[in-house]
Amino acid sequence: MPGLTKSETPEDGLYCINHEGLSVAVTKVGESEFGEMNLKRNLTDPEWIKSKVLIHENVIERIMQSSAVLPFKFPTLFKTEENLKSFLEEHRDKFIKNLRYLKGKEEWGVKIYCDWDKLKRTLAKDGFRDIDQEISASASGRAFLLKKKKDELVNEAVYKKLGELSQACFERLSKHSFQWRINKLLPKELTEKKEEMILNSVFLIVKSKVKQFIHTVHELRTEHTPGGLLFDCTGPWPPYNFA
Amino acid sequence: MTAPDPGLHIILREQMNDLLLKQKEVTVLEILDRVLDKGVVISGDIVISVAEVDLIYLGLRVFLSSVETMERVRGAAL
Repeated sequence: MPGLTKSETPEDGLYCINHEGLSVAVTKVGESEFGEMNLKRNLTDPEWIKSKVLIHENVIERIMQSSAVLPFKFPTLFKTEENLKSFLEEHRDKFIKNLRYLKGKEEWGVKIYCDWDKLKRTLAKDGFRDIDQEISASASGRAFLLKKKKDELVNEAVYKKLGELSQACFERLSKHSFQWRINKLLPKELTEKKEEMILNSVFLIVKSKVKQFIHTVHELRTEHTPGGLLFDCTGPWPPYNFA
Repeated sequence: MTAPDPGLHIILREQMNDLLLKQKEVTVLEILDRVLDKGVVISGDIVISVAEVDLIYLGLRVFLSSVETMERVRGAAL
């Protein structure tokens, strides 16, 4: 962890342990918060978790400014410095290989959402002329059934279209990236958006290609916003998904 | 030229605050999702993993919205 000196981090008790050619940013924590039982209790307190996780993230983002970094999951705890050191000895080769791999690269996340109704209206307007004509030519009972049938067909078309769209967007984005991953879709209760998430993807990008990547996101946004897609692009993140 | 309607100004500011709050919230979810769920998993001395990121986030949101309500109530009392 070159660049992060002790003098830069006096306020939070953060310091470096250098061992086996690796540097680990650590901070001492007390039994009252992180002892096994107390930790278990604290981990049921969302506000506690939030405050600690933000500190964790902040430290990693600071290190990221000047060096390749392997972000550890929260909470990662060792009882003694010696335990940590022997852990480093054990995994040294893996860590060094991984750090070399991540050097000069950034993680970016792209989530795509779909305004279902908008897409549905767009699709329903066009490709269903035959059935529309049949509906207007039919008596009310039959028209009712045909309308139901049309609704099913439109829904199918929406699913198909969504698959095609997210695939196409993902392919364009992955062109500029070194590595990628598709994560699980998050439900509306978590995203708090009225649109449905249709792609949750992360990309590992060589720094010199980040500009092109963001440009592609803008292009996709311009192309697909009228059709009901929304793009949410965040970064640069520490390489959580690729460590 | 007429001065901007102060009422409108307040509404706009409130909307902006809402927007900022929203964006921040999304970021908290993104951060929780990464820090608790991704990243290097090791066998440290104490291995406790956080059960459900989704549940924590939902819990946090309930907490935050109740804080917001409290602040609003306090604001109304003034």
